[in-house]
Amino acid sequence: MQGYIYPNEFELRWSLLIVLYPYLTGLVAGAFILASLARVFNVKEVEPTYRLALLTALAFLIVAPLPLLAHLGHPERSYEIFLTPNRQSAMAMFGFVYAWYLMVVLLLEIWFDYRRDFVLRAREATGPRKWFYYALTLGSTDLSDRALRFDDKAGRWITIIGIPSAFLLHGYVGFIFGSIKANPWWSSVLMPVVFLFSAIVSGIALVLIIYLVATLFRGKKVDMGCADKLATFLFFAMLVDFSLEMLDFIHRLYESEESIEILSQLIEGRLFVSLIVLQVVLGTLVPLIALGVVSPALSWRGTRKVPAEVRRLIYIGCALLVQVGIFSIRWNVVIGGQLFSKSLRGLTVYKAELLGVEGLLMAGALVILPFIILGLLVKIMPPWPEDELPAPPEV
Amino acid sequence: MPQQVTRLGIAFVALAVVFVAVRQKLVPDTFGEAGHYRAAAVDSIAAQPLQYAGHEACTMCHRPIAEKRSVSNHSGVSCEVCHGPAAEHVAAPGSVKPPAPRERGFCPLCHGYNASRPSGFPQIDPVAHNPMVPCMTCHDPHAPEPPVIPGACRACHGQIASQKAVSHHATLPCLTCHDAPDEHKASPRTLRPDKPSSRDFCGTCHAEDAISPSHIPRVDVSTHGEGYLCWQCHYPHHPEAE
Repeated sequence: MQGYIYPNEFELRWSLLIVLYPYLTGLVAGAFILASLARVFNVKEVEPTYRLALLTALAFLIVAPLPLLAHLGHPERSYEIFLTPNRQSAMAMFGFVYAWYLMVVLLLEIWFDYRRDFVLRAREATGPRKWFYYALTLGSTDLSDRALRFDDKAGRWITIIGIPSAFLLHGYVGFIFGSIKANPWWSSVLMPVVFLFSAIVSGIALVLIIYLVATLFRGKKVDMGCADKLATFLFFAMLVDFSLEMLDFIHRLYESEESIEILSQLIEGRLFVSLIVLQVVLGTLVPLIALGVVSPALSWRGTRKVPAEVRRLIYIGCALLVQVGIFSIRWNVVIGGQLFSKSLRGLTVYKAELLGVEGLLMAGALVILPFIILGLLVKIMPPWPEDELPAPPEV
Repeated sequence: MPQQVTRLGIAFVALAVVFVAVRQKLVPDTFGEAGHYRAAAVDSIAAQPLQYAGHEACTMCHRPIAEKRSVSNHSGVSCEVCHGPAAEHVAAPGSVKPPAPRERGFCPLCHGYNASRPSGFPQIDPVAHNPMVPCMTCHDPHAPEPPVIPGACRACHGQIASQKAVSHHATLPCLTCHDAPDEHKASPRTLRPDKPSSRDFCGTCHAEDAISPSHIPRVDVSTHGEGYLCWQCHYPHHPEAE
């Protein structure tokens, strides 16, 4: 503790789990936006990652509310926010935003995209597997050209609805922080926009990592056209995200409200490593420069100089650094916003515990869990292009 | 209509029906009548048996102790804060005895050092402060004046002392700026120390023409921060005051 703080500011109320929550929802929104590139914007190069991005979004969406449930306690009561909705509370309405995104956007899009596969697998399989896949079809087994065309068209429309929904999902998280007018570190109308673009950055980077690593482990050849395109999109998304953050920063500096001094102390002291070193230098500038040099974002010539194997490694390295950077952004927002006193005269400290519901181990488990769920989903619904089932025999 | 739409429609309608049925069943009848809560909760809480008797009930039988406490530093602490809910004891004084905590861990719940506690509130380090000795050996909880009047300000103002120790004012004794009567040590709330009441006081060292070492920051006391006392902007116990 340093300087003067009010008694109720000594301990932080929102801990590591609340850092994790916007990080996970951001990955969901980002992965979905990436999927929409293939589906709505017809970016052919990223098609190999379309299904993978959808499943990644689903796996992370399933885990996204868990940090909140663990933090609040009494998860068995969580259904009550649906039964007695409080329309005055942005936090309480999250359940509906989440349910809309899960039920109406993600599950529906995956269902329309995989329905043909479900039907074909139900026909091929025997025993419980057959019934499992049949249940997934919801009894809709029509594979006529007309039905498949409808699937395609419906999936496209759902993606179009899904884009504003993904913006809503993560913009809402930024809105929660941005609308807390008593906290000068959070209160900014740019907050939802900054959250959104950082979400897109983290989602693209995550799918890039999963695609490259999974392809490596499966012993298949990486589609470098796809990897290059993902790296290009990552580069430009980071550029926009970084510009927005700088805009926010310059705006605060120019506005120079009464909080500017304590916020300067916060950045120079408590947040120096997580903000300057991890977020700005390692999480943004280093990957931006590396991607600018080796990816085709700025010039196709860049890719020719660097062999594909090295490029892949650089892409993975950059995407990992981006994840560190985006996690640091969430940390700096959530923890940073609670480290200074409302008196603007003092700073407190936060030290994450190791064990316990809000500890490091719990947070680690919640980061690993989506990957386990994703592994399960990939097993049930293989997203890889080579696993595409042959056209159904005429019936 | 495509088969997919009908099947999905059935699934969504089934979900909606389940949701409405569950909501009908689980939402309490009186929910929302008086606000975003179950209105009948007020009655059900009011119907719960009373656990606390209130300090007046204690005073009726324990008058000497109550009078002693009422003029002590614990006058604002109700009997049941330490002795627990006493409704059962009041109903059956002979058979139910309220607990009297004597272990060392109890008093530091309030008096253990914590930076967020108000300055001046008596706080000790439970590890270093007379180890192993029960608090009651030296302090009477019904009249908890310290057996020895604290010699140094930091006995009660630990947080300020820690801050000042790393500030540019580290070498200044507290009494340089505060006029603290000796009685303050025995009756801290009745006789309080004062704070500098004029800008000229800080000017003794910080004015441009002050006779003080040259490394001390100087300001024009007559124009700098006009209308305010120095300590209203500069917190003198902390390094930021430079």
